[in-house]
Amino acid sequence: MPMEDLKPHIKEISQLIGGKVSEDEISKELDTYLKVYRVPLETAKKSIVRKYGGNPSLVSRGQKKEISELTTNEQSVDLLVKVVSVNKREVEVDGTIKPVLYGVFADESGAVPFTAWEADRFDFKKGDVIFIRNAYTREWNGQPQVNLGNRAVVEKKDSATVEISEVEVPSFAESVQAKVSQLKDGMNNVAITGRILELEMKVVSTPDGAKPVTSGIIADETGKVQFSAWHDFGLREDMVITIKGAYVKGWRGIPQINFGQRADVTEYKGSFPAADVLARPAKRTIEDLEKIGGGIDVLVSGVVVDIREGSGLILRCPKCKRVVQKNLCRLHGSVNPEPDLRIKAVVDDGEGVLTVIMNRTITESITGISLNNAMRRAKEMMNPLVIKEDIENLLIAHPVEVSGNVTRDEFGLLMIASDARLAEFDIRSEATEMLTKLEGMY
Amino acid sequence: MISREIAWRVFSGEYNTSNCELKGEGERSPSYVITPLGAMINRLFVVGVLTDIENLGTEGEPFWRARVTDPTGTFFISAGQYQPDASLALAKIKPPSFVAVVGKSRTYSPEEGTVYVSVRPEKIVEVDEKIRDYWILETCKSTLRRLTAAEEARRMETPTVEALIKLGYSKALAQGVLKSIEHYDSVEFERYRDMIADALRYLLPEYEPEVQETPSEMEIGVEEPDENIDKEERVLAIIDRLDKKGKGAPWDEIIEEAGKEGIRKDELEEITNSLLDKGLIYEPILGKMKRI
Repeated sequence: MPMEDLKPHIKEISQLIGGKVSEDEISKELDTYLKVYRVPLETAKKSIVRKYGGNPSLVSRGQKKEISELTTNEQSVDLLVKVVSVNKREVEVDGTIKPVLYGVFADESGAVPFTAWEADRFDFKKGDVIFIRNAYTREWNGQPQVNLGNRAVVEKKDSATVEISEVEVPSFAESVQAKVSQLKDGMNNVAITGRILELEMKVVSTPDGAKPVTSGIIADETGKVQFSAWHDFGLREDMVITIKGAYVKGWRGIPQINFGQRADVTEYKGSFPAADVLARPAKRTIEDLEKIGGGIDVLVSGVVVDIREGSGLILRCPKCKRVVQKNLCRLHGSVNPEPDLRIKAVVDDGEGVLTVIMNRTITESITGISLNNAMRRAKEMMNPLVIKEDIENLLIAHPVEVSGNVTRDEFGLLMIASDARLAEFDIRSEATEMLTKLEGMY
Repeated sequence: MISREIAWRVFSGEYNTSNCELKGEGERSPSYVITPLGAMINRLFVVGVLTDIENLGTEGEPFWRARVTDPTGTFFISAGQYQPDASLALAKIKPPSFVAVVGKSRTYSPEEGTVYVSVRPEKIVEVDEKIRDYWILETCKSTLRRLTAAEEARRMETPTVEALIKLGYSKALAQGVLKSIEHYDSVEFERYRDMIADALRYLLPEYEPEVQETPSEMEIGVEEPDENIDKEERVLAIIDRLDKKGKGAPWDEIIEEAGKEGIRKDELEEITNSLLDKGLIYEPILGKMKRI
């Protein structure tokens, strides 16, 4: 092996033994192992590291890969890459501030984000072609991310040796512009602009210890979405921000956006709908919600086509509020139950179906049946089920507008209504308009 | 995911011209009626005037037949003991009145190539005129959406579900339109466009109801299903008569008895299939039929 090619190995050994011996010394020793004793390179390296008190298991196994071959769990991998971008940032690790480098590497096969944890050790620049030994990968947004830790060794190469595909890189670097209503579980590297309607700081425990997180609700004209910011971006309530590099995770079908340190968050200076406008529920079709899986504070219109079992006058355990049958609670045994009103309505708009749960207040306002009246009537008729029948007669076939949070499970979409009312409509003007259009089509 | 079938808004004038049924394969897969405009109906939502209602069963075991009229024709509704909610409601409603029906599509084929469609109600409630008008408007909109989708699909060189979804149509509609193209060679779009326009005019104040005595194509078809129901009743009576030991009526004897009443064997088979379908009879052992 020519001496030149041994250089990175010598560097690696030097690093693993903490610079106890000069590189010249190591070079000579390595040369002896390889040329005189003819042992394999890896064995030679390990022997030298062991001899000087280093940890031989950290020696590179020299597995070279292309970026497209990377998995999210590489322990030790070698890469020949071009530095597409590199930036420096300070992070707090165990109470001390450390500089780290982050950016994007690319080769012929693709591009990958990277983090180099000891910025001082590396001096590569944008455009450099480098050979990296002993990198490892971690998952970030479901994709591999290359990490250069304390075992990593970097060597600059001639720029001509790496051809990077021009198409691959921008597609990685550019965020996908999206509106709130388009967000869907699993989306990566999303760019979104919205106004912060609610904000809350909390500390959550993660495998890496307690982390402060800013969460809340951000909205654009298409709807609202919950967000979690895993880094302090100095967010304030009512601020309009553009986030680049967010990712979307679903919770029971509801998309939520997450963004961390790596995301680019800037204040948006253009005009944007006011908070009170954005606070209103955003109108969505049921089919749209079916495609996406759910959403928070959405407004849906449709017709009530069924009232499910468990609607009407029900009895709840006074302790846990579970619905009880025959005064027996699953948890608290024999109880003196509390009466309540509830509706589980099936709302259908001809293209999609949604089950809507309405609590007592909403049930009372949409049906005009109060809990007291319901109890009196059930007593008179000696049948509590009569209330469900009354509700069916009042609501089935009626157009309604319901708003609330929509989740999805194996039985389809479910809305916990925060508001529900019978829809108002102006049949004549709509019919006239439609007829005019239709006659124009002849 | 076990998703509930959507309730299609469709006029009787479109529904009754359907002669394509997509039978579900396997135990739980649903059947659909495909309309010429591509509604793929397992469940439908109808509002109209309940014009008449009769009990073809007994007081204890009623079997209701009813007609619900919209501006374009008449829906045929039938409900028995397996539709307890609807049966109960039908026992109480006095025609004429505005009703809303949520129900399942049903078909009946007395002979090869002939399909009659009806509605097996899940829920029937009385409503007011406003709800009926709202339904007409909604049904106009969804019929027009189907018509436009079907026309666009037929103009495509190779229509696909994906292409229609890209144009903004729902997945259910896109699938239905594709099925309708497979089955119906040609569709008189103008007829449906006129139907929508007529229904819209019906909603407008300047509309003066004209007394039209010319029976529509749909109404001519009315007698046929009625007659079939009548035959079903007769076959049920035969089965009752022949089932002396409560172990079922032998098939050979049913054929013989039915023959005496002028019901041919192939017709009889259709009728018993329909009765089996409706859950009115079952086959306790091979070759015997028994009332449930």
